[in-house]
This record gives sequence, structure tokens and C-alpha cells, in this order.
Amino acid sequence: MSSTKSDPTLLPRILNVIHRFEDSLLAILLIAMILLASAQIVLRNVFEISIVWADPLLRIMVLWLALIGALAASRENKHISIDVLTRVMNEKTRRATHIFTSLFTAVVTGLIAYHAGRFVVMEYETQNLVLGIPAWVFEAIIPAAFALMAIRYLIHFVQYAKGLIMQEPSS
Amino acid sequence: MNVILLIITLLGAPLFAVIAASAMFGFYSDDIDLGVIAIEIYRLAETPVLLAIPLFTFAGYILGASQAPHRLVRLTNALLGWLPGGLAMVAIVACAFFTAFTGASGVTIVALGALLYPALKEAGYGEHFNLGLITSSGSLGLLFAPSLPLILYGVVVQQMGMEQTISIGDLFLAGILPGLLMMLLLSTYSMLQRRQPRLATSKPTNKEIVNILRESAWELPLPFVVLGGIYSGLFAISEAAAVTALYVLIVEVLIKREIPMSDLPRIIRESMILVGGVLIILGVSLALTNYIIDSGLPMRLFDAIRAHIDSKWTFLILLNVFLLALGMILDIFSALVIIIPIILPIAINYGIHPVHLGIVFLANMQIGYFTPPVGMNLFIASYRFERPVMELYRATIPFFFILLGAVLIITYWPGLSLVLLGQS
Repeated sequence: MSSTKSDPTLLPRILNVIHRFEDSLLAILLIAMILLASAQIVLRNVFEISIVWADPLLRIMVLWLALIGALAASRENKHISIDVLTRVMNEKTRRATHIFTSLFTAVVTGLIAYHAGRFVVMEYETQNLVLGIPAWVFEAIIPAAFALMAIRYLIHFVQYAKGLIMQEPSS
Repeated sequence: MNVILLIITLLGAPLFAVIAASAMFGFYSDDIDLGVIAIEIYRLAETPVLLAIPLFTFAGYILGASQAPHRLVRLTNALLGWLPGGLAMVAIVACAFFTAFTGASGVTIVALGALLYPALKEAGYGEHFNLGLITSSGSLGLLFAPSLPLILYGVVVQQMGMEQTISIGDLFLAGILPGLLMMLLLSTYSMLQRRQPRLATSKPTNKEIVNILRESAWELPLPFVVLGGIYSGLFAISEAAAVTALYVLIVEVLIKREIPMSDLPRIIRESMILVGGVLIILGVSLALTNYIIDSGLPMRLFDAIRAHIDSKWTFLILLNVFLLALGMILDIFSALVIIIPIILPIAINYGIHPVHLGIVFLANMQIGYFTPPVGMNLFIASYRFERPVMELYRATIPFFFILLGAVLIITYWPGLSLVLLGQS
């Protein structure tokens, strides 16, 4: 973290802000989820009432946590993958494959972001409501997270391509 | 196209990207609007039980970062340590217990290995035995509630919308006896180990036991609340997960203060990276699963296999071989979401109970955790104990055969999995 402070370029600083934002969002979502789910149990069993919006909201929070968690995994290149081959490759070949797989992942996540974006725009136009709030608000995390993942893998691609980073990029 | 994707997979591209690419290519060639992919991913928000996954995972990470592993080892040691082969049994029980809670994410080896390895060495066990035991026990407990793969199997099966549906509670019951069988076989093997002569451990005094019990007083109710709550039907699984997460958070952070507040964001991020990594694969696989089922691939495969094999038992042998090979290259989560939709319909046609299939599948995958070349736990242990991976390959061989024996028993004795469900 401290090394990015002294870095004069803009990109690492922006990334740093984004990382903090992602981390805070994860923490807030998870803690809120724990409290809300626990409150719901107490209300249901002790007072025999329940918050109507709690269960659907909790389910949406799972989606958000999953996608932001996946985004954090993209940052550290920690997605589940098969590494039988990369493990035995020499440094140079491995970097070349990383360049290729990063680009592939950027393209795929970019495509998902684009199509999910179209879907969200459609939802915006139909004005569906979930919990009294337009549904697209909750769904917007899908294109947003995938777009950020695409950017993340483009950065990996550029970094590997430049050969700046020999090992796994870290935060 | 499939060949290209296979090559990309082997080159180490993230699996979720490969699965998504393959689903989108399928939609594209069938002229289906690619916007469907968003609808499929949104199904993550329409599956109530998924709530349990982040909550249990987080609770497991908190426990792993606290002093709870130390207390768990001390406690099991006081209760079992004085028996012949006692310390090895301590390792087996503690690992199984801990893995059930942390979902076999490798946390067990990191958190418990460091405590058990030196203790086993001191107790006079051979080097290879210690390494092998800890590495192979790192995935033990996978069959016990509330392990993440067990829940995930239930979710995948429920999402498929088969006629014969199963509950996650059934899976939790079904895993008990097969899991105990594995522990029993490993304990027996440990008791037969020749050790260097050493001082006999005396049976702990009552006072010592009381002390250790008092020390673990906060964590002791946890298994009873979680397992008792789920098995008795008092809690839904996601409720048990919420209670566990809140309880562990309060105890380890606020009461015992073993984890500083400032460490929480890091622990949350690390646990959510695992959750995100698994759930995003599940999300994109939901799209692929529908495509696979609609394409009729499982039925065509079934017909093809049926032409050569008509006995259920031969099919099960084939399945074991296939799953063992699968476990060697694919991790348990991806294997679950990709392979189950294909083999479940086939297995049902051979008259295999979906719950039994789940237990067989996970038992095979459990071995996959420590089979070369890519068993995750081999690398975690190699990193943790600073040993070459080759040495761990060798050290785990006897354990591989013991657990393989257990897997065969589990496979060919469906009753072992189904008897507690009352429908064997």
C-alpha cells in the first residue's frame, strides 16, 4: 500500500482508491448481511413478526457480495483455474500464456458486461419494481462488476505484456 | 470451438471465463439473445440457501485467524491424546471438525497443520507419516455439515429442477456415516504405526480437563448449535449460518479480542474472494447447465454408455475412475457445477439415488485434494512445511489407498449413505 503513495503516476492511485472502495463495500455488505439475517431470526422466533423485505434483500446482497468478491479475486488473479500446465512452464512461456489468458478473460467479461448492460437498460425501460425500488438498480451490479473485471484483466494483460511484472500481480 | 476452449482452460484461464464463453457461444449458435447471460447470473439472487455460503465461509475464516485452532487441538488432545495412537487421532478429529466448518479451502492445513505437525513429531511418529496424515486430513470432514461443497451440491441439484429432488438437510445426514468411516480407517492405520519409544502420555487429570473445557467454553456450544439446529430442523441452513457468523464475530473479535478490529477488512476480503470465485462459477454455470440440459447431451451420453454397460455396479466403477481422474485436474467447486448437471441424469437412470451420488462424488473429490499433479492441499502443505511437492506425493501414498478403500465402500454400499435418511 505504501509503495503506491510514492508512485507519481495516476493509475496506481486511482486503483488504490478503487481497492479501498471494493474492500469497504465487501465489509459493509457482509456485516449488514450478518446483522440483518440475525435480526430476522430473532424477530421471527421471539416476536413472531418478520421484516418483509429482509429475505429478498439478503438474496440480492448475496449476488452483490459474489460479484464484488469475484472482482477482488480478479484484482489478485485468484480466480479458480487449472494450473497443471502453467505450473511446469518456464518463466517466459508462462508470461506469454498469462498475456493470452488475460486478454481472453478481458474479452469474455467485456462481452458479458455489454450484454448485461443491454439487459439492465431494458429493465430500466420496463420499470419493473423489486421491493418498491426499480429492479435495474439491483441488477446494475452485473454489468458494473463485469466491466470492472474486464478493465482489471486488460490491466493484467498490459502489465504482463510489458513484462513489468514477473510474478503474480498483487494489490 | 470446444477444443479451443479446452486449450484455453489448460493454459490457466479463469474457469468462470471459459464456462461463460462456452455458454455464450452456445446461445449465439442457437440464435438466443446473449442478454440471457445476465438473467442466468441474476439467479444467484433467487436461491435462498446461497446465503449460507458467504456466512459459513466468513465464520470459518474468523475461526482460523483466532486462537480457536489451538484450543481445538488442546481439547481433543486432553480427550483422546492418552489413547494408543491418540495424537494421530487428535489430528484426524480436529482436522475433520475444522474442515467441515471452513469448507476445505485449505485453511485446515494452514491453521491446524502448524500445531499438529510438531506435536506429532514430538510424539515419535515418522516424518512421512506426519506429512501424509496432515496433508490428507486437510480435506477430511468434507462430508460433514456444514461443509461448503456439500451445500453447493444440493444447490446445483435443486437448480436442475429434476423430478427427484433432494434437500440439503438430507445431504448433511447422508454424509455422517461415510465421513466417520474415513476417520475410522485413518485412525486404525495410525494406531498400527510403529513409533519411536518415548515417554507415555499420562491420562489428563480431571482438573486439567476442566481447565481446557473452561478455556474453550465459548466455542464449545458452536457445533451443538449449528449441527443440532440444522439436524433437528430448528434452523434453516442459512439461519444456522447467520447465527454462526454473528456468534463467532462477537466471541473472537469483541469478547476474546483475538482478532483486532483492524484485521477484519482483510479477513472479510480474503473470505469473500473465495466466495466470489466459487459463486461466479456457479452463476455462469447456471447458464451453461440449462444449455447442456436443453441440448440433450446427458441423454445421448446415457444412451451411449447404456449400449455398453447395463449394470449399475459397472457404471459405478466407471464413475469412480472418471471422478478420480477428474479430481486430479479440477478443483471440487468447478467439478461440482460443471460435471454434476451432466452425470446426475445419467446416474438417476442407472437407479442411483441423487444423495448417494453426491456423497460418492464428494468422497472422490476429497481424494483429489491430495492427488498429484494438482491436488491443492499438496501445494499448501508444501508451502506451509517447506517441503518439496515430490516428497508430499510420496508421503500421501498410503493415505491415498486407505481413503480409496473408504471411497469404494461408500460407492458400493449405498445404505451407508442412505440409512440415516430412512430410505435405504
